[in-house]
Amino acid sequence: MNTNLKISNVTKIYPGCVANDNVSLEFNSGKIYALLGENGAGKSTLVKILSGVIIPDEGKIYLNQNNLKLNSPLDAKKNDIGMVFQHFNLFETLSVFENLIIDSDEQRESLREKIDTIMKKYNFSIDLDIPVLNLSAGQKQKVEIIRCLIRSPKVLIMDEPTSVLTEQETSELFLSLKKFSEEGILIIYITHKLKEVMQLCDEVAVMRKGKLVSVSEIKNENIESLANKMVGQNLKTIKKKKVKTSSDQLIKITNLNFTSEDPFETNLMDINFSVNRGECLGIAGISGNGQSELFQVLSGEIISEKNSIEFNNNYIGDLNPQERREYLMAFSPEDRLEQAAIPQMKIFENVALNNFKSSNFFDNGLINENKIKEHSKKIISDFNVNTNNIELKSQFLSGGNLQKLIIGRELITSPDLLICFNPTWGLDVGAINYIHETLIKINEQNKSIILISTDTDELLKLSDKISVIHKGKLSKIMNAEEVTSEKLGILMGGAN
Amino acid sequence: MIIDINFIGLIIASIMASAVPLILASCGELITERSGVLNLGVEGMMIIGAISGFALMTVTGSLIIAIFGAMLAGVLISTIFAFLTQTLITNHVATGLALTIFGIGISAMIGKNFVGIPGKEFPVLFEGLKDTIPLLGPILFGHSIVFYFAFALPFITSYFLKKTKIGLIVRAVGDSPESASNQGINVRLVRYACILYGGAMSGLAGAYLSMIYTPQWIENMTGGRGWIALALVVFSTWNPIKILIGAMIFGGLTIIQFHMQAIGVRIPVQFLTALPYIVTIIVLVVISRDSRKIRLSTPSSLGKSFHKDN
Repeated sequence: MNTNLKISNVTKIYPGCVANDNVSLEFNSGKIYALLGENGAGKSTLVKILSGVIIPDEGKIYLNQNNLKLNSPLDAKKNDIGMVFQHFNLFETLSVFENLIIDSDEQRESLREKIDTIMKKYNFSIDLDIPVLNLSAGQKQKVEIIRCLIRSPKVLIMDEPTSVLTEQETSELFLSLKKFSEEGILIIYITHKLKEVMQLCDEVAVMRKGKLVSVSEIKNENIESLANKMVGQNLKTIKKKKVKTSSDQLIKITNLNFTSEDPFETNLMDINFSVNRGECLGIAGISGNGQSELFQVLSGEIISEKNSIEFNNNYIGDLNPQERREYLMAFSPEDRLEQAAIPQMKIFENVALNNFKSSNFFDNGLINENKIKEHSKKIISDFNVNTNNIELKSQFLSGGNLQKLIIGRELITSPDLLICFNPTWGLDVGAINYIHETLIKINEQNKSIILISTDTDELLKLSDKISVIHKGKLSKIMNAEEVTSEKLGILMGGAN
Repeated sequence: MIIDINFIGLIIASIMASAVPLILASCGELITERSGVLNLGVEGMMIIGAISGFALMTVTGSLIIAIFGAMLAGVLISTIFAFLTQTLITNHVATGLALTIFGIGISAMIGKNFVGIPGKEFPVLFEGLKDTIPLLGPILFGHSIVFYFAFALPFITSYFLKKTKIGLIVRAVGDSPESASNQGINVRLVRYACILYGGAMSGLAGAYLSMIYTPQWIENMTGGRGWIALALVVFSTWNPIKILIGAMIFGGLTIIQFHMQAIGVRIPVQFLTALPYIVTIIVLVVISRDSRKIRLSTPSSLGKSFHKDN
C-alpha cells in the first residue's frame, strides 16, 4: 500500500529565531527523500515535529489523508512513524535487548524471535546481550534501526545518520535503506552532505534559515547547484597550494604509550611520527579510536614519558599544557564549550586563560584587565569573530564564532605548532571555509599543524601527510596525494 | 565460660534487627537513585516516619494504622521533594539537605508531647518455633513482619530491576532521561513514583525504629542512620544484595562494639564507635572494585535535573 505523508504550513517559533517558517512538503513511499540544509536551517526541528518530540505552533501533518495529532513520541510510534536520531536515543548501560524491548508491549520471547528474523533479513549481526556502550557507532545505529523496524513503520526518518559512520558502514546503510524503500517504507533522509544526497536519494528538499527553499528531483541537480541553494550564495572553493615542505623536523613522537585506568577509554600503543616545519599531518579515524587520548597526550593534559615527545630539540613529554605553550605549541580541543572555553565566562576572561609569561596579563597577582581587553579586541578583529562585545559570555557565541575565537587566541602568539581536534565539527559551511583558510595560511607561514579529524574530506583537503588511528594504533604515514577517501575508509575500519 | 549456642543465635538476630532500618531505607533510596534522582533527605524522611508511627500508635492504638500512616507520612514529605526537584527543577542536593533539616525540626516539634510515653508491644511471628532448632531458631523465628519484609526486600528489589518491565523503565530513565523521553516514557512520572516509593520505605524504616526496635520516641532517634543508608547505596554500587551485606556488617559491628565496651576492652571508645562506619565503607569499596560493573550500574543521570524542552 502506498504511503503519503504531507506536512502542511508548519511553523515553529523560538524566542529570537523562527525554526520553521510556514513549511509545506509532500512525500510518497517508494522514493527516498533528502532534506538538506546547514546547521540551524530548521531540518532537525521539522523532523522532531514529525516524530512528536516537538509540537509545532501552527500547521498540520497528514498521513494518508488522516490528520495526525503528534503530541508525544508515543503518538508518532503509534502512527507508524519511526525515527533514528542523530544523537542516539539509546541507554548505554542497558543491554541491546533491553534497549529494543523497552517500548514494546509484546512478550520477551516473541520479540526475541522477531528481532532475530529482522537481523537475518538485513544481515545485521549484533550480540543482543551485551551493554550498548560496548558497541561501535555503526552497530548502535543498527540497534536504533531495528527498534524502528520492530514496529513495521510506514515512515522511517534518518537524522544525519552518517556523521559517525565509516565509509563501509555508510554504504551498508545505504544498501539497507534502498531495501527498505523497495519494501514500501517511505524514507526521509536528513543531511548536510551533498555527496550522499546525490548517491542515495530520489528527491531533495532544501531548507535555509527555517524556510523551504526548493524541492526538486535529484536528476535535475548537481553538487554545486545544491550547495548554492543550501548556503544561499555562490561558494568559493578553497584549495591548498602544493608547496614543497621543508625537511626541518619540528616535533617527533617516539614509542609513545598510554594505558588508561578507565576501561571506556582507548589505550594508545606505540605511537611514532614526526612533523616537519610548514607541514600539516592529518590523523583520520572513526571517533572513539583513541583520538581524544592522543590529543590529550600531545597537549599535556595527560603527562607521558619525558623522552617520548621531542619538540624543537627539547624533550617535553612530562610538561603540562601551560609549560608546553611556553615552548610555542598551541591547542584547539574538540569540545569548544567544555575544554577550550568556559561557557559562563566572558570572552576576554576566556582569552586570559591562555596566559604566557610574556603576555603580562597579571600584575602581582592582580588581573590587568585593560591589557587583556586590548588583546581580546585584536583577536576579534584579526580573526573575524562576529561580535563587538568582549564582555559577552562565551556560551552565547555561535559555534563558528567561538571556534574562530579559540583558534585566534591560540594563533595570535604565533606558535610553531597548532594541534587541533575536529576544528570544524558542527559548523556551517561559511565558518568551515574560514577555518580551513586560516589553517592553510598557518602552513604557508612555515608553521606546522597536527589535525586530528573525523572528517575525511577535510583531511584530504588540508593535510600533506595522513595517518589513520584505529583502536589506539597509528597506521603508517602516507603522502596525502597517494590517499583516497576509499583507502582511508578501509584503514579506518581496521583493515591493512 | 560456656557460651550457649542459642546465645550466639540471639546475638546474630539482634545484629539482623539493627540492620533492618538500613536495609529498608537503602532499598527505597536505591530505587529513587536508579531513576536518576539523588534524595539526600533520607534522614529527614526516616525521622518523620518514626514520629508519625509512634504518634499514630499512641493516639489510635492501632499498629496497622501506625505502620501505614508512617509510610504515608514518608510519601507526603517526599512529595514535597518531588514537587520541588521535578516540577520546579530545583537542585537535588540542596533540596534533599533542606528536607532532612525540615524533617528533624518538625519531628521534634510534634514529638514534644510523646516523650516518655511507653510504646506498645509489636506482635512477632513464629514465636513458638524459636526453641525447636538450636542456633537457627532464634535467628529465623520470633520476629516482626517488618523484619521479614526487610530481608526479602533486597531480593525483591533486585528481581524488580532486572526482570520486570517497570524496573527496566526505571533504569532507562536513570541512564538517559533524554532518550527515555524521546521514546515516549514520561520521565517526570517515573521519577515522581520512585521518589515517593523511597519516601514510603524511609517512613517504614523510621517506624521500625520507634515502634519495634526501641519502642519509644526520643528526639533525633534515627541518629544518622539515614546518612548511613545513603552511603550504603553508593558504596554498594546500586546493588541491592550488596546493600544487604553492608547493612549486616554495619549492624554487626555496632552490636559487637557495644558488647566490647560493656566487657571493658581497652580500646578507646571513640575508635570503637567509629569502627562500623569505617569497616563498612572499606568492605563495600573492596567488593565493588570492578570499574566496568560500576559504570554499568551507576545511574548516569544521577542528581541531574531533567527539563523537557519544547
